[in-house]
Amino acid sequence: MAEQDTLRGVGWLRLARELDPLRATWRLFTNVRWAIGIIAFLALASLLGVVVPQVPAGVRGDAAAEADWLAVQEDRFGFLTDPMNHVGLFDVFHTYWFVYALGLLVVSVAVCTVSRFPSIWRAVTSPSKRVSDAYFASARHRFDYAPPAAGPGLEAVLRRRYAVERYQEGDTLYLFADRFRLAQLATFVSHLALVVLLAAALVSRLSGFSNGLVIAEGASEPVFLEPTHPDQMQVQLVDAVGRFSLQGEPLEYRSDLVIHQGGQEAKRCTTTVNSPCSYNGYRFHQAAYFGFGADIRVRDLSSGNVVYRETEALSDTLPSPRVTVRDGDGDLLLDEALVLTDVLSSDEFSYYGRVVTLEDGRVLIIGTSRTVGSDEWQLAVFEPGDGEDTVRLLLREGESARAGGLEFTYVGLGGVPAAFVSDFPLPPAASAGGSSGEVLLEMGNVVYGSDEASAGTAVPVDAASGSPELTIVGLQPQAVSLGPGESVEIGEYEYSFLGQREFAGIQVRKDRSDYLVWIGAGMLIAGLLVTFWVPQRRLWAKITPARIYLAGQAGHLVDFRREMAELARQAGAELDEAEGQESDG
Amino acid sequence: MSEDRQASGPPEVEETVQRRRVWRGPWRSLVFPLLVVAAIAAAIWWLEYRPDSGSFAGDVRYGPVELPAVLMAPGMEVSPKAGSLAPDFLLETLDGGEVRLSDLRGKGVIVNLWATWCGPCRKEMPQFVAAYDRYQEEGLEIIAVNVQESRSIIRPFVEDFGIDFPVALDRRGAVSDEYRIIGLPTTYFIDRDGVVREVFQGPFLEGLQDTQVQGAIAEDELTRRIEEILE
Repeated sequence: MAEQDTLRGVGWLRLARELDPLRATWRLFTNVRWAIGIIAFLALASLLGVVVPQVPAGVRGDAAAEADWLAVQEDRFGFLTDPMNHVGLFDVFHTYWFVYALGLLVVSVAVCTVSRFPSIWRAVTSPSKRVSDAYFASARHRFDYAPPAAGPGLEAVLRRRYAVERYQEGDTLYLFADRFRLAQLATFVSHLALVVLLAAALVSRLSGFSNGLVIAEGASEPVFLEPTHPDQMQVQLVDAVGRFSLQGEPLEYRSDLVIHQGGQEAKRCTTTVNSPCSYNGYRFHQAAYFGFGADIRVRDLSSGNVVYRETEALSDTLPSPRVTVRDGDGDLLLDEALVLTDVLSSDEFSYYGRVVTLEDGRVLIIGTSRTVGSDEWQLAVFEPGDGEDTVRLLLREGESARAGGLEFTYVGLGGVPAAFVSDFPLPPAASAGGSSGEVLLEMGNVVYGSDEASAGTAVPVDAASGSPELTIVGLQPQAVSLGPGESVEIGEYEYSFLGQREFAGIQVRKDRSDYLVWIGAGMLIAGLLVTFWVPQRRLWAKITPARIYLAGQAGHLVDFRREMAELARQAGAELDEAEGQESDG
Repeated sequence: MSEDRQASGPPEVEETVQRRRVWRGPWRSLVFPLLVVAAIAAAIWWLEYRPDSGSFAGDVRYGPVELPAVLMAPGMEVSPKAGSLAPDFLLETLDGGEVRLSDLRGKGVIVNLWATWCGPCRKEMPQFVAAYDRYQEEGLEIIAVNVQESRSIIRPFVEDFGIDFPVALDRRGAVSDEYRIIGLPTTYFIDRDGVVREVFQGPFLEGLQDTQVQGAIAEDELTRRIEEILE
């Protein structure tokens, strides 16, 4: 009866232990299947985060912009867009469930590691130096052999590489040998590395900052859109440099920056793609380079004040045909990549042309035209008038033809950087009241990517390919062309082309998880190296006059039975070739 | 794998010590690991949010200041809202001097918060320059409060655009915070009694972009507001 009561009591204790929520939590967190489940979940979520388009950083947090972005996604995902957005599939790495899963994994690894630490620490610091005789017959790694007649003996061989302790009992000698005993702790280094790497991911997700700035040489841009952000800085681009090979391949991009904060210059530095500039916990990466900017100034002549000073990015490209014209004697009258200033377009065709006056005063209208849907720009040459010798030509690229006593060759089609700029100040004569309107800017003779273009903030006038020439269409009936430093007065305004400028794309990042990634990676590599290359070996030996028995423990990758046989050979044992082969134990 | 083996007792030589987990009570098995995680989190938090050596404190003399009692009006609050008394501030100027808003009481004042990197600020600035030339003698004062930029960036812009009214330097952004700006440019029209008559957020040309004579209309709009504060 008392025995039954005792058993019943043990049963209740066991049940109580099973129901203990803390113990159940501990079981959950130390369960490897649970950890693998979380890892699989995170892997799947990350895969979705890579495959499914994610809300761009600049759009996140702006409700209107997000709505616009989602509207675009509806074309691709249809009726699934709303539910996908609801569960966060368009912003996987910032969803609460992804962050929670990362957190759970961190806790799981930490609980698991700490729970294992006492037993491993005990095994490292207080190993069982004596084992029962039965262990020599049951150990996974075991070996036995007859005592050799001669040789240095097992103890002497072991002492070469192992820390050895000996125990004598009658005529039986027991040895305990340990090698790389601290290697067992490497598993904690590896596990701690996982915690650090996961923490790095959390830090990056939760507090990372990234913003792209496009800055013209001489100009500055704020790091934060919020004007009075506590960390507000202005990044000034002193010089953007892009160097290219003769084949046009980029060799180097770099930018000289000045970082200002709190109304003071805080740092001067040079940033490249691989060596970002760092200040105040932020990194300033060279992310892009653009070489076609035109620095334009408009001055009101009546007051002398500047009314417009901008560096315009000429990010479009307009066709620019290279044309040669020779007279009847073969003398060259024109050889030029034409910057076209007259634009005509309809539903059926596009046309860009300009008036060209030859040396002999003959006027031609030369342009390129393309029908909608075609990729081919044809050269159209037209001469005002209706005489028999007037020129009417349509040429394909590479073709030549004679007309009106001249020989025309359409050498090839290039492009000129261009941009349509609205809100450009127009001279009083060109608009009611002297206001603003749209103009077309084209920059011919650009120096792209040469040392000359990138050496300073202004392109030297004597650059190898000629100085850049800015053409402004829309200020007056005729287009205006200006070289670097040149000005023209129209109405009461003075328009100046101050020179070709370059732009740099600077990506500003704050992500202090970088150092955590380095630390975590280092720990992981160190832990794995120790685990795989210097695994712990622990060996017990029982030496009797009739037989020598070895039993041991070692890492999974160690063929310890073979090593035991080798130790026996070194000790003087004469063994067959087959002896020492790994057995199942 | 997570079996509690304490009850059955350890074998003489533990073959699978690497896999062994031991329940050692809630404190050592759960609370301690969580404290380890918390310690790592705290270390990371400290590294993330510790004060940066590169931050500039700025000169605390400059920024918002108390409006002198003699300039207070009964029943009126001090706030950067239309109908309230404009918050006072003291700032250093680009030319090395100082400007205090309350010292301009009796004049109509335009406070324009701007920066050189702000494209709309650049575009509207010539209108303020022209307006100052025209209305200065009638009692108009303009303070161009630059938000947190360096003198070396501001000076070429000021010289180019011929700005001859005070350019104040809000290095710490304290005045911008006090005036609760949400973007640049923001312009405050303050009458001779120090009352904010209108707050114009965004570029002064906003809403006038589609017209062919936007400049002329904008000039009229500016003129109307200036004449209101000079009444």
